[in-house]
Amino acid sequence: MEELIAQLKGKIIEALNLVDLTPEDIDADAPLFGEGLGLDSIDALELILLMEKNYGIRLKNPAEGKEVFKSVRVMAEYIAAHRTK
Amino acid sequence: MRTTHKVEITPTSVVLDGRLLPFRESGEALLTEVYRQRVGDWPKFFKMDLLSKVGFLAAELLLEAEGDRHRGGSDRAVILSGRSGSLCDDRDYQQLIADPDDFYPSPSVFVYTLPNIVTGEIAIRNGWHGETMYYALEEYDPAALAAYATLAFTDPQTRSALCGWVECPAHEDFYANMEIIER
Repeated sequence: MEELIAQLKGKIIEALNLVDLTPEDIDADAPLFGEGLGLDSIDALELILLMEKNYGIRLKNPAEGKEVFKSVRVMAEYIAAHRTK
Repeated sequence: MRTTHKVEITPTSVVLDGRLLPFRESGEALLTEVYRQRVGDWPKFFKMDLLSKVGFLAAELLLEAEGDRHRGGSDRAVILSGRSGSLCDDRDYQQLIADPDDFYPSPSVFVYTLPNIVTGEIAIRNGWHGETMYYALEEYDPAALAAYATLAFTDPQTRSALCGWVECPAHEDFYANMEIIER
């Protein structure tokens, strides 16, 4: 799981152009939206795309994102359970 | 109407109120250098397309020259124009969707396929709720911009405008000529 979390942090930084951040700067348990990384609605769509492109996961219900994108750790756990690639 | 501050940005120079500002980089790296040296507190800059980056930085430098960041309010309009519009970002987006076997259209690239987004980025940064306009023109036309500013000033709330030409036909190729004008 820790390996997936580290990989995911790198992919999030790349996909969301978080140029000033390194994977070490991201707390795996911090909220991704609101506080924490302070992401916005377009970032949420990018995260949905990231999961589909890299892990073959299609979120059928966008409302699921609210739960899945709680933190990097929650996201990694969801990916581990549902990934198709 | 009177101009209070002017800025010109090219791939090799930044001139604010007639003074060449010292930067080392050129091309898009120059824009990053300007951001890091003169702004630094708006990470959304890195998510913007080229047109928005250039317009945003030109606005930041004008407001720095003005001193008062003029936060909030509805008394300032943003009136920009350009020839190529969002063509540079349109091409980036087209590339992303060209291969049906690798079809992952990026929402954050797509949102910039409208050129007027640059005016919104400037207004959002400053909390401005005044008029914003973007005009696609064949060439830089100060007379047309003055006419649009005059039109904006028919609204009694509008006291000043951030006005000008922002042109980004391709990556590494950009030009901004913007000014603050007051009634």
